[in-house]
Amino acid sequence: MMSMLLAQALSVVRSGQQVLKDVSFSIAQGEVHALLGGNGAGKSTTLLTFLGFLEPVSGSVHVQGRYVSENVSAARQAIAYLPEAATLYGHLNAYENLRYFLSLAGTDTNRRALDEALDRVALQAVARGMRMHTYSKGMRQKVAIAMAILREAPILLLDEPTSGLDPVAIDEFNRLVRDLAEAGRTILLVTHDVYGACHVADRIDLLHKGELVGAFDRPPGMDRIDTEAVHGAFAKYAGA
Amino acid sequence: MTGLIREIRFLASDRAALLWLGIALLVACMSVFLGLREIAAQRAELNELIEIDRTEREVVDALYQDWGEVAYYTFHLTWDSPSDFAFAALGQRDTSPWKHHIRALALEGQIYETDAENPDFALIGRFDFAFAANLLAPLLLILLLHDLRSAERTAGRYEWLSATAASRGSPWFARAVLRVGALALCLIVPLWAGGLPGGAGASTLVAASLVVVLHIAFWWGVCALVDRFGWSSPVNLTALVGAWLALAVIVPAAIRISVEAAVPLPDGGDILLTQREAVNDAWDLPKSATMDPFVERHPEWADYTEISQSFEWKWYYAFQQVGDQTVEPLSRAYREGRIGRDRLAGRLAWLSPPALAERALQAIAGTNMAASLAYEQRVRDYHAALRTYYYPRLFRDEAVSDASIGQRPEFHAMGD
Repeated sequence: MMSMLLAQALSVVRSGQQVLKDVSFSIAQGEVHALLGGNGAGKSTTLLTFLGFLEPVSGSVHVQGRYVSENVSAARQAIAYLPEAATLYGHLNAYENLRYFLSLAGTDTNRRALDEALDRVALQAVARGMRMHTYSKGMRQKVAIAMAILREAPILLLDEPTSGLDPVAIDEFNRLVRDLAEAGRTILLVTHDVYGACHVADRIDLLHKGELVGAFDRPPGMDRIDTEAVHGAFAKYAGA
Repeated sequence: MTGLIREIRFLASDRAALLWLGIALLVACMSVFLGLREIAAQRAELNELIEIDRTEREVVDALYQDWGEVAYYTFHLTWDSPSDFAFAALGQRDTSPWKHHIRALALEGQIYETDAENPDFALIGRFDFAFAANLLAPLLLILLLHDLRSAERTAGRYEWLSATAASRGSPWFARAVLRVGALALCLIVPLWAGGLPGGAGASTLVAASLVVVLHIAFWWGVCALVDRFGWSSPVNLTALVGAWLALAVIVPAAIRISVEAAVPLPDGGDILLTQREAVNDAWDLPKSATMDPFVERHPEWADYTEISQSFEWKWYYAFQQVGDQTVEPLSRAYREGRIGRDRLAGRLAWLSPPALAERALQAIAGTNMAASLAYEQRVRDYHAALRTYYYPRLFRDEAVSDASIGQRPEFHAMGD
């Protein structure tokens, strides 16, 4: 089965510092893959490399079997990207923001589709017509997640997607991610939320100072990855 | 097309961009209005002067029966009519005289004694379209473009937007095109709205619009160049305003200083004084000191140079001409120097696109140095025609007659 996302012996240098060292992983269609790690572990760098914003010094990244460095445009077309602390345009409302970004992506939408996506992320109807500078961080994040859903791209790269969400919203988001995966979307999310990653991911790779230092798979028939094992490994490296 | 519509909607919701575009439109409208008002005032003044000039000559012609007195008391208005596009670039019409009131006396003093009407305006230049388009528009473009990408980087949207737009092209180009296009329209539409009813030809307006667009395109290139460094918005703004200051203010000032140093020019006041001294001294010199150099220039009057009385008009006009002959080298050097300075300034203007655009608009408007010198030459030619007309009548001591006065040359301005 072809990998939707593939990193092979990936090494990346930013501002003279090696931020990824020999990182390899593969993600199949419909899989939710979490990169877990503390600050500066190289999680966001991995996403930016898949998007073609960073060039590996060695190794390679592939999207849908295509070498990203040779076809950045095709890679980006296949990916819906949600950055950490996504800042939408404050002078536009939720609908206008969604329409703007979706138009950039060439995705046609109607008001009904927008409302459906906003319903899925549980954004209150009354807030949707308000300018986004009045939104809380969690509300903005919900709109950004709705955008990722509406993109209809086969691959989702989510950078700290639950940042700013309340526990209820996080739970709803985790269910949403599972639904999207079951619908065939491939999802790579980076997070430092151990609990959330264990509940939503099929596989967790633990990154520490740019290196993969652990991998945890969801056991067959289980609804989550062993939280204690992951937490133990995470705590060990977080204290290192 | 979809991208453009999307960005038009986006621009329509960007208050800061709308503010800068609104200011550009206001500035362009104001400059066109003030330029049209100034040219209308110049035309009205000319019409009034032409009428007064005609009336005065009729009165003088009826009063005097001696060609010497007729020539002495008769003034002749000469003028340079503004072109229909002069409102957009007043140019030399601010600093060089565009009308004279001349007599058949020594010319050099008459040409250079007329000064700009308002030296304060001559110093700072008028608020015309050329000023708005060449100096203010680049600043407004900088304000519109300096944070196109950097603001998105600061907001954390840059990668998001770039990744999202991958399949449909970059949003930055569409945003920039829209802002540049909108600014160009804010400048060009008032220009056409003011120019067409005022009689400026479509080809003239197209040429001027092209100058504006090329100049804006240059500054767009500068903005794009600075943008490539990936600096923050304040650093971009500082760098771009610095570039504007250098190219629009410092380089033109350096060009002016260099040109003045490289091409020395006699003082116009020296020409005036030297010529007046030559004329005044002639009263105390032997008549031959005047008539000999005069005959060298006009051998056809060699048989009429005997001056038997203490004052004769032919002697008077001869020493007026000798006064001009005395300052001819200075006057020639002054004119050649102005042409030389203008040529050198034209070459050096390539170092300053705002100065280059200003010169281009002045050339289109007929308000540049070449136009000013051409007018000055027309005054000289007309004055020479007056002398050619008066000398036979003065030297042969002919009687004044209406028929003869009817043959006196009239000044005709270019385009009138």
